[in-house]
Amino acid sequence: MSPRGQDPTARNRGEKRLPFPGIAVAAVLAAGTIWWSAAPLAGGSAGTRLSLTVAIVSGVLSIAQLAIAAAAGRDTDAYSATEQVALRVADLVRTLPWAELMTVAALTLEALHASRPWHTALLAIALTGYLFAVHLAETGAGASVLRAQLPLLAAGAGLTALAVGAAALPPLPSGPAAALLRVAAIVIAVVVAGLVLPAWLGRSR
Amino acid sequence: MASPVGQEEPRQLPVRWGLSAHARRLLTLALAGLVIAIVTRRPEFAGLAAPALLLLATWRADRPRQVAVRASMPSTVVVEGIQTSVRIEIHGLADFWASLVVEPAETVSAGAAVTLPSGKPDRAASLRLVPVRWGRRSLGLLMITFSDRYRISEGRVLVQLPSVNCRPRPAQLTGSVVLSRLPSRLGEHPARATGEGGEFAGVREFVPGDRQRRINWPATTRHGTLHLSTFAAERTQNLVVIADETADVGEPGSSSLDLVLRGAAGAVTRYLAARDRVGLIIHARSLSWIGPGQGQRHASRLLDLMMASPGGWDRSVSLTRLPRAALPPGALILVFSPLLDPLLIEALRDLRERGFSVIVVDVLNAEPQYGRSTLSKLTAQIWRLEQEAIRFSLTQIGVPVVRWDGISSLDEPLAPYTRRVVVARR
Repeated sequence: MSPRGQDPTARNRGEKRLPFPGIAVAAVLAAGTIWWSAAPLAGGSAGTRLSLTVAIVSGVLSIAQLAIAAAAGRDTDAYSATEQVALRVADLVRTLPWAELMTVAALTLEALHASRPWHTALLAIALTGYLFAVHLAETGAGASVLRAQLPLLAAGAGLTALAVGAAALPPLPSGPAAALLRVAAIVIAVVVAGLVLPAWLGRSR
Repeated sequence: MASPVGQEEPRQLPVRWGLSAHARRLLTLALAGLVIAIVTRRPEFAGLAAPALLLLATWRADRPRQVAVRASMPSTVVVEGIQTSVRIEIHGLADFWASLVVEPAETVSAGAAVTLPSGKPDRAASLRLVPVRWGRRSLGLLMITFSDRYRISEGRVLVQLPSVNCRPRPAQLTGSVVLSRLPSRLGEHPARATGEGGEFAGVREFVPGDRQRRINWPATTRHGTLHLSTFAAERTQNLVVIADETADVGEPGSSSLDLVLRGAAGAVTRYLAARDRVGLIIHARSLSWIGPGQGQRHASRLLDLMMASPGGWDRSVSLTRLPRAALPPGALILVFSPLLDPLLIEALRDLRERGFSVIVVDVLNAEPQYGRSTLSKLTAQIWRLEQEAIRFSLTQIGVPVVRWDGISSLDEPLAPYTRRVVVARR
């Protein structure tokens, strides 16, 4: 068709479809991560509220960033002043590393609470899941692209379990339970090595 | 099928490698976890960093520094608003996924990004692009992003897409203006003279030498003497399209120049399809023309001339100096113009005085910007009256002026002249 109704000075950078499921998953994981790291709010030390605010703002903006990046980019000089301001704001949202900021804020929130190893382990899973969800929503790729990373993620989860176990061990009284945990830790370490080594050696494939 | 144009051989292009955004986020998680673990002496935070660190450990240092890429097109001649495709071939980096995103040039619209999976040493993809305005330009840049299977490292390659000659989209025109007097060349328009055409012209008495197969038996029976059918001769028509490129006013995309080129392209395409002889005069900074001719190759030359002419106006030239070859006697002259150039208007008067049949398609669809003061309103009024006077003066000397908005078909403004034969007056 003739360009009637379409600004001919515009350039359309690809027809992208908004990956709603991917963004929705990332949003749910972001909300869950922030809630999990902040709970209970009363249990946090000084700076908890500030960290929570930063986490919420950066979490929301990281989701907005995904939505803005996914929207079809039209670049034109024919926008009004209000639209130009909106474009600048969108550029700002697109440029800053909001996901990283939310990650640091959520970890800070968790650190501001008293030690609770299993709680932190779940936060680790949620945060890693959130970062993968952001990556998938950003690239528009399917979850199948993560198949190669599964052994490494499983190994990482094992190491996390080891660390959590190490953190939880000192309060445990000596006895069969502690011995069992030590054996489990050794088994996990062996399994982790078994998972990581083939992936690391085969990384050039 | 035409051979693809563009690069003949794949070009070796440098690949710039770096951390992916995903890797940067994992690195942030790992570093933040480790720092907090050290500061707070809580080992569970070190464990939190473990999955990210393991993934980052897959970072490869031995990545290829170059990749061979070839960009080609079926043809570099495209039409505005019509989708075209660029074929991209990638040779090498078989272990990496490749994501192809076009950064289109101005007035070009790009299709969706394409992702090529890893595994094959030679991969190819077709990218969809739509040039939305006529002109000669590059289609833009292609960014190829290679990513490893762990999505940790990314390599970027920039590829210059081929340049295209984007022709204006021809305006729709199904009818054609036909003059009453046509030159004695075999064509497809029924002339007033009788001849060997296919259109019935009348019945007359048989004279020795006439072909017996033309005997009209009903008329013969009625009159009692042999009568035969006569047919109109079929002649071609000479059409000269004058495209006024001196002014470009109005909204980009529907400016007067856009309408001039689309209208002229529509007329050229329509008349050449009807096997008429069509010539083109570009009235711009300098006059350029191609004399009337026929055929697909001639059509291509005419459309290329439209693209080649620079805009603007040099007062040292005048339309009346055109050689006879550009304005054959008895030609119909179809002018696409916003009628803003006094020299062209004078030239049109001169053409009419020389006996040419001229029809002007007025494409002016904008007015100068005026303020709200009384003086400005008065100026606007005077400008409008002047424009009306110009059009009226042309109509008075036998040059019809029809308005075309560029939206409707050209058939609408030309309807009064396409429904009947236009009598050529001298």
